[in-house]
Amino acid sequence: MNARRALYFDGRSSRAHAVEAVIDGGELALHGDGVARREPLSALRITARLGRTPRTIAFADGAQLVLDDADDLDAAFASADRVQSWVDRIERRWRSVALAAAISVATGVLLLQFGVPWAAERIARRMPAAVEAGLGRSVLDQLDRWAFEPSTLPPARREALAQRFADLLEPGEDASVRIAFRHAPKIGANAFALPGGTIVFTDQLVALVGDEREFLAVAAHELGHERHRHTLRQALQGSAVAVLAALFAGDVSSAGSVVVAVPTFLLDGHYSRAFESEADEAAFATLVAHGISPRWFATIMRKLEAEASDTTELPYLSSHPPTAGRIARAEGLADGFEAALPAQHAAVH
Amino acid sequence: MNATVIDDGVGPAPAVGQAVPRTTDHRFEFSGDAREYFRIWIVNLALGIVTLGIYSAWAKVRTQRYFYANTRVAGAPFDYQAQPLAILKGRLIALVLFGGYALAGQFDVRVQLALALLIALLAPWLVVRGAAFRARYSAWRGINFRFVPDYKQAYIRYLALYLFVPFTLGLLYPFVKAKQKAFLVEQHRYGGVPFRFTATPGDFYPSYLAAFACGFIWSMLLSFVMVGAIGRHVSVDGTPPPMLVYGFPLLMYAGYFVIFAFLNASISNLVYNAVRLDNHRLHSTLRGSKLLWIYASNTLAILASIGMLIPWAMIRLARYRAECLTLLQAGDLDAFVATAQTDVDATGAEMDSVFDIDIGL
Repeated sequence: MNARRALYFDGRSSRAHAVEAVIDGGELALHGDGVARREPLSALRITARLGRTPRTIAFADGAQLVLDDADDLDAAFASADRVQSWVDRIERRWRSVALAAAISVATGVLLLQFGVPWAAERIARRMPAAVEAGLGRSVLDQLDRWAFEPSTLPPARREALAQRFADLLEPGEDASVRIAFRHAPKIGANAFALPGGTIVFTDQLVALVGDEREFLAVAAHELGHERHRHTLRQALQGSAVAVLAALFAGDVSSAGSVVVAVPTFLLDGHYSRAFESEADEAAFATLVAHGISPRWFATIMRKLEAEASDTTELPYLSSHPPTAGRIARAEGLADGFEAALPAQHAAVH
Repeated sequence: MNATVIDDGVGPAPAVGQAVPRTTDHRFEFSGDAREYFRIWIVNLALGIVTLGIYSAWAKVRTQRYFYANTRVAGAPFDYQAQPLAILKGRLIALVLFGGYALAGQFDVRVQLALALLIALLAPWLVVRGAAFRARYSAWRGINFRFVPDYKQAYIRYLALYLFVPFTLGLLYPFVKAKQKAFLVEQHRYGGVPFRFTATPGDFYPSYLAAFACGFIWSMLLSFVMVGAIGRHVSVDGTPPPMLVYGFPLLMYAGYFVIFAFLNASISNLVYNAVRLDNHRLHSTLRGSKLLWIYASNTLAILASIGMLIPWAMIRLARYRAECLTLLQAGDLDAFVATAQTDVDATGAEMDSVFDIDIGL
C-alpha cells in the first residue's frame, strides 16, 4: 500500500511527529521525523469511521497515530467497532438516510397526534381526585386574584341557573361537579371547566343569555369538558410536548426556549380544537337527552361570536374550532331533532 | 528541534536556531459539513427511536466525536474518547433518578419541593463530575485534559454564593459568574500544567451591568408603549386587543434575545481571552451582532423546517465560534507531558445533561 502522511504522538509528550505510515503485510510501519516504528495490526485499535473525520490508531503503549480517513482502513483492522461500522455504512447510503428521516418524522407525527393524547388521557383518569381538586382550587385562586371579581348577579338569578344546571347532571354527579359565577371585566363572556369539577361562568356570559336554554347549551359544553377531564389533559399534553421538544432540540441550547415554546404553543391550539369538538358532541348529546334543541347552542354561539368580533383581531389564534363549523353542526343536529318534535321547538325560529 | 512541524501556515516560517520563545498565532479551524452531519444526526435520531433510547449513548459519542475531530488548532484535531457503554450506564442511572423525581412530583408538592432542593444541593457535585468526565475523555495531540475536583470550592461558587445574590438586588450575580468561570478554567490541566485565569470579577461587571440596564430600559419602554396603546384601543368592556396580548410578550422576548446574544459574545470573549496555559493564551473575537444573526436565523430555520435544519444550525454556530478563536502560542507547544489518569464515571456527566445544568465556558 502507498505511504500516507500522518501525525504521530508518542503518548508521553504533546510533540507532533509528521511521519509516513505504510500498512503492509499485516503490519503498520512508521518512519520520518525521528520516528521508526513497526507494529502488527492486531496489536492496534482504530477509532470508528465517522464522516470524513480523521482516524486515530492507538498503540498499546499509549502512542497515537492520526491520519486522514480512507476506504481501505476498516478492512485492514479487524478490531474496528462492529456497531459503529454498521452505523457508518447506513450514514453513507442515501436510501437508509431517507429511511431514517421517514422513521423520525413518522414517529414524531404519531407521537404528537396519538401517543401524547393517549398517555395524557390514561394519566388523567388515574389521577387521584384530591390532586385534581387541589389543582382546580389553585387555578381558581389565581383567576380570583388576577381576573375575577365576585359575581354581581342577583342571588335569585344565580340560584335559578344553578337549579337548571343541576337538571343536566347524571345521578351522583352533583357530588363532583359544582358551578360558580364571577364578574370578569378583563375576560368578557366566557365559561371555564376547571380540574376537579368546578365550572365557572362569567356574569358577562350570563348577560348575553336570552333564553335559559342558551345557558344550558354552554353548561352542557363545559360539562363535556369536565366529564372528559379536558383541562387536566390539556395541561398534561402541554408538558409532554415541551419535554419532547426539549429532548429533540436539546443541543440547540442558545435559542432553546423559542424552539420549544413555538411548537408547544401551536400544538396546544391543535389539541384544544380536538377537545372543543369533543365537548360540543357531548353537549349536543346531553341537550337532546334533556329534550333541548342543539339550536340553542347555535344561537348562543352566534351571540358570543358577535361579542368576540368586536375585540378579536387574530381569530386564527383562537383555541376554538372555527365557529361557523360548530354552528352549522349544531343546526344540522337541531333540524333532525326538531323534525322529530316539531311543535315543541317552533318558538326558536 | 523544529517546533512548527505542524504549523497551519498562519505563523511565520520556522528558522532553524531561532531564539525561543516566539509567538505564533494558530487559528482554530472547523471543518464540519452540514450535509455530512445531517446524515449522522438523522441516523442517530432514527436509531435512538427504534432502540427506545438505548442507542442515544452511541449517538452522543458520534456527535461529540464529529465536532471534536472537525475542530483543529495548530494542525492537530481534538479527540473525544468516551465510550458509549460508560455513557449508557450514566444515562440509565440519571434517568431512574430523574424519572423518580418527575413521578414523585406529580403526587405531592412537598415531595417536589424536597427533590428540587436535593437537586440544588447536588448541582455543584454534578458540575464537578461533568467537567471531570469531559476533560478526562478529551484529548489534543495525544495528551488528555484533566479536571481536578475541588468540591469545597464548587459548593461555595455554585451554591453558597447564590444565597447572597437576592440580598444585593442581583448586583452580586456577575461576581458569582466570574468566580464560576475562574473555577472551571483553573481546575483544568493539560499535560499536568494547570490553566490560569487572568480576569477579575470586576472585568465581568461592565457587560452584565450594560445587559441589566438594556433589559430594564427595554421593559420600561415597552410598558409605556403598552399603556399608551391600551388607552387608545381598549374596547368598551375593558378587554385589550389580542394584538397587544400576544405582541407585547413577543417584543419583550425579542429584546431579551438581542441582549442575550450580545452578553454571550462579550462574556465568551472575556473568558477565552483570560485563559493562560504556560505562556500560551487564547484570543476570541466573537461579535454580538453576528451571534445574534446566527441565533435568530437558526431559530427561524429550525422552526420552519420542523427541526430538519438543526444539524445545519449546529454546524454553523460551531464554525463561527471556532473561526473567532485563536491560540497565541508563546514558546513550545510540544513540551506538555502526559500524566497518569484514572477512569471517570459518567453518571455525574449524564445527570447534569438530564437536569440541563449549564456549565459551558
